[in-house]
Amino acid sequence: MLIQCCRILLCNNIHCCCVHFHTAHTNYLHFNNNLHYFGSPSYRYMDTFVLQTHNLSHHFSGNRPVLKDISLQVPQGAIYGFLGPNGAGKTTTLRLVLGLLSVQEGSISILGQDLKQHREAVLRQVGSLIEQPSLYGHLTAKENLEVYRRIYDVPKNRIAEVLQQVGLENTGSKKAKQFSLGMKQRLSIGVALLHQPKFLILDEPTNGLDPNGIIETRLLIQQLNREEGVTILVSSHILAEVEKMATHMGIIHQGALLFQGTLRDLQAMKQKQAFVQLETSDNETALNLLQAFAPQRHNGHLLLPFTSRGDVAAANRLLVQGGIDVYHLEQRHNDLEQMFIDLTNEAK
Amino acid sequence: MTFANSYRSELLKTKRTASFWLSLLGAGFIPAIYLIAYILKPDGASRQLGEAPWNVHFFMGWQGVGFFLLPMFVVLLCALVTQIEFKNNTWKQVYASPQSYGQIYFSKLLIIHTMIIFFFIAFNLFMLGTGIVSALVHKQLAFLKSSFDVQKLVELNAKMYISTMGIAAIQYWLSLRFKNFIVPMGIGLALLIAAIVATNLGWEHIYKVPFAQPGLTLRYVSQPVKGWLQPHEWNSIIAFVIFTIGGFLDVIYKKEKG
Repeated sequence: MLIQCCRILLCNNIHCCCVHFHTAHTNYLHFNNNLHYFGSPSYRYMDTFVLQTHNLSHHFSGNRPVLKDISLQVPQGAIYGFLGPNGAGKTTTLRLVLGLLSVQEGSISILGQDLKQHREAVLRQVGSLIEQPSLYGHLTAKENLEVYRRIYDVPKNRIAEVLQQVGLENTGSKKAKQFSLGMKQRLSIGVALLHQPKFLILDEPTNGLDPNGIIETRLLIQQLNREEGVTILVSSHILAEVEKMATHMGIIHQGALLFQGTLRDLQAMKQKQAFVQLETSDNETALNLLQAFAPQRHNGHLLLPFTSRGDVAAANRLLVQGGIDVYHLEQRHNDLEQMFIDLTNEAK
Repeated sequence: MTFANSYRSELLKTKRTASFWLSLLGAGFIPAIYLIAYILKPDGASRQLGEAPWNVHFFMGWQGVGFFLLPMFVVLLCALVTQIEFKNNTWKQVYASPQSYGQIYFSKLLIIHTMIIFFFIAFNLFMLGTGIVSALVHKQLAFLKSSFDVQKLVELNAKMYISTMGIAAIQYWLSLRFKNFIVPMGIGLALLIAAIVATNLGWEHIYKVPFAQPGLTLRYVSQPVKGWLQPHEWNSIIAFVIFTIGGFLDVIYKKEKG
C-alpha cells in the first residue's frame, strides 16, 4: 500500500516525503463508516443520476472479491473523477458498467435504464474508452471512425467534425498503427464521441501521454462537458489530474468505495484537517504542557489540530515559557493527496 | 442498428488485411500451375483433357484445391478475420457498441462466408482464364471449340461450398475462443491431416468428419449416386448448424467479453 501511495505522490510532485504523510494518518481523520459520503442533500437525493450502480460486487476465480458493494452515483452534467490506485477495481467497475463483464451481484442503471435489460438502448447513448486505445491499426483515422459510423448509423459529416474536435484532421492516409500514443488516445476519444453520447466513460484517458497531451485531453473533456453537456466519468490513479477537472469524485481502494461526493466536499474536508507539526527539545514535557491543544505524538514529532493562528502562537509561547526549545513548528494542510492516502490507509 | 450496418462495418475492417490477398492468391495458385503446365506441355494436356476439356479442366482444378488447399484456406481465413479484433485489442469496443450479440457474431460469420464465396468465384474465373489463355497460345487445346456445362459447374461449386461449411463453423468457433491464433490453426491443421489419412485408409466413419468432406465430395461427384446431397454433405450442414449455434451460445454466455 505504502509503495502505491508513494507512486501516486511521486507522480504529483508532492514536496513532503511519504513517511510524513504516512505518520499523519488516522490522527486527524476519524471516519465512522467505510464510505465517506459527503455532499449536500441535493446531491444525494434530488439530482438525476446518469449512472447508478447498486451494491456492485464482483469476484474472479479464486473467490477473492475485487469489488465490494460499489454504489456509484454520477449526477447529470458532472465530470466524475473515479480515483484509485492501480488494481483498486476501477477498470473492473467500468467493464461491468459497459456490459463487458457479467454482473454477479448488484445492478447497474444508466440514464434511467437497467443495463441488463436494455443493453443496446443504453450503449447507444454511451461513449467509451477502456484501458489502452482500441483501434484498427491497418486503417486510417477516418476509416476507424467509419467502422463505428456504420454501426451507429450517424451522418457522414460527423467524421470530419470529430476529427477536427480531436485534432486529427490532417492525418490523411497515415495508418493508426503509425500514430503516436497521444494520437491513438485522441482517436479513441474521437470514436467514443462519434455518436454524440450523453454519457462518456474514459478509463485512464491520459495514460502514457506527455504533459501537453494530458493538458489537451483535459481541455477536451472540460469543453465537451461545458459546451455539449456530456456527463463524463473519467478514471485515474493520479489525483492531481482528476482534481483539475472533476466536479465530483469517487475514491475506490481494494474494491471498496471510500469516498463519494463533490470536489467541494472533498476540499472542505481538507480545510478541516489542517494541523501543526512540532519538534521540541523535550517532547514528553511539551505533551503535558499542551494538553489543552489535544496533542498527539508521532515519530518524534508532536501534532496539534490547527484551530487558528493565535492558537499556534499561544502553544509556542507556552512551550517557550515552560523552558522548552522549539526547533520546528510548521502548519500543514492535509491536501487531497494526503486525504487519499489517509482514506486508503484507513480502509486497510 | 441493423444487421446490414454491422456487416458493412465488418467489411470495412477487412480492408488492407491479408484475408483479401489470401483469398485471391489461394484461388489463383492451382489455376496458375495448370496454366504453366498447359503452356509448357500442350500435347500431354490435350490428351488428358479429352472430349470435354472444360469439365475435365474444372474437375482437375477442384481436385487440386479441394483436399487440402480449400480447407486450409478456411482455417486461415477464420483465424485472420477474428484476429483483426484480438490483435488490435478491439473486442471491448465492439462489445461496448450498441450491437446485439447476434449482430456481432453473425456479421463476422457472414464476412467469412463472403470471403469463401469470393474465393470460389475467383477460383472459377481463374480456371476459366487459364483455359482461354492456354487455348489462345496452343491451338491443340480445344477449350474455345468446346461447349461449357454451366449447370454441372454450378452444381460442383455448390457441393464444394456445402462440404466446407462444417469446417468453417468449427474454425470460426475455435478462432473466437482462442486469442492465440496458433491454437485454432494448429487444431485445424491437425484435424485436416488426420482426415486426409483416414480418408486414404478408407475408414468407414470418415463421412462424419467435417475436415474430410470436401475431399469426399470430389470422390463421389463422378460416381452414380442416389440423391443430390450425399450423407457426408448432409453431415457438413449438420456440423455447420451445431457448431454455429454452439459458438453463438459460447459468445452469449462468455462471462468476460472483450
